[in-house]
Amino acid sequence: MASSRLRVDWPSCEGRGLCHELLPELISLDRWGFPVIAGEVPEELLPAARRTVAGCPRLALRLV
Amino acid sequence: MSVLVEEGPRLLAHLDEGPQLVHHRRRHPAPADMTLDRLAAAAEAADLRGRGGAGFPFATKLRTAARRRAVVVVNLSEGEPASHKDEALGQLRPHLVLDGAVLAAMALGTRQVHLVLPGETPAVGERIGAALAERGSSDRVSWQVHTAAAGFVSGQARAVIELMSGRPNLPVTAWVPEAVSGYRGRPTLLSNAETFAQLASIWAHGPDPATMLITRAGDTDRPRVLEVVLGGRWDAVLSPAELARPVLLGGYHGVWVPAGALANRRIAGEDLAGLGATLGAGVVLPLPEGSCPVHETVRIVDYLAGQSAGRCGPCRLGLPALARALDDIDRGVGSGALVDDLAATVRGRGACAHPDGTARLVVSLRRWFGDELALHQRQECGHGVLAAAG
Repeated sequence: MASSRLRVDWPSCEGRGLCHELLPELISLDRWGFPVIAGEVPEELLPAARRTVAGCPRLALRLV
Repeated sequence: MSVLVEEGPRLLAHLDEGPQLVHHRRRHPAPADMTLDRLAAAAEAADLRGRGGAGFPFATKLRTAARRRAVVVVNLSEGEPASHKDEALGQLRPHLVLDGAVLAAMALGTRQVHLVLPGETPAVGERIGAALAERGSSDRVSWQVHTAAAGFVSGQARAVIELMSGRPNLPVTAWVPEAVSGYRGRPTLLSNAETFAQLASIWAHGPDPATMLITRAGDTDRPRVLEVVLGGRWDAVLSPAELARPVLLGGYHGVWVPAGALANRRIAGEDLAGLGATLGAGVVLPLPEGSCPVHETVRIVDYLAGQSAGRCGPCRLGLPALARALDDIDRGVGSGALVDDLAATVRGRGACAHPDGTARLVVSLRRWFGDELALHQRQECGHGVLAAAG
């Protein structure tokens, strides 16, 4: 299977930070509270990544 | 015109003959009998790459867009304030640009051609309008004309598609390339005006010599647009004194190259790769005598911070922070580590490449002018000529 990656829709993101709460393994926050994504999503984190995408209050995260 | 345009070997040949269709047709036959395979083969043989800055192979883009209900978009809107080549083409060689668009439309089997004009230079729109009137209905394409807003990011590909779609002329996130899904979800061949002009010229006269339009500033009261042969020497563009000083290649989203670095290199992407530079959209800004690359970069990054559309958080907050951190360095109180950290923080984190381009400029300053930055820490300035040639 092709590797998956989380991408942010930057104009939609308002830095609420929920993604970091839900997936701290892959998502940290910069000094202003906007998400910093670390690399590709490993197989074992795919279910958590999907929940994080669904949980973003701005619908600003996608698994591509 | 607000720019000086010099006679060149191909696109800018026979400038004395004027931009009208009657003159143009004496040297360029009307587009006919075009197929996808023919045009892609011609573009491939010439290694034609996009001239908007990214340098993507045109034939690949063309083949990707070759599906049902494709759309052709000619982008004449140069966001980069230092670039004037498309303005020059639009005013002096409108029919070459339009021929290229017709060839692409024929190859894609579409009649939908959109022209995006620069908001800053209404004269281009007037000339294109006159050129369309001259052509009448002979092209069997439906020309649709849009005018972009002024501003750095309004000429960006997705911002242009937003404009065409009746939404604000600002960048949005591209989940797939425009050639896959662009205007109204249709395959969209969106290229810079020079790319279409090169395409028409290659079709009419073959691939040799391969040329590129350059905009350079600094030696006269107006910017100069010239057409150079790829693989040629930089002294066709810059004086020996300018080659002995730092040069900003690629415009405000470009990179610094150190003093003397271009003297022994050719005008070719592969010669610039070692310097971390590309030809981009062909903007060449030699550092004026007595100026300082640190000070110039502060001024440009401050401008770029003001040009952020303000929609993406890291760009809206990061570019002003970067400008302040650089200004501190210029005044001898800053931290290079903070500048590096901020540049890394904004990179790749926006709907368009505005933060990336700004970070690239700043990284090149840090790469080549470490000695200069150290001097500034002591409240001195070496005008960027201390750095060793790369």
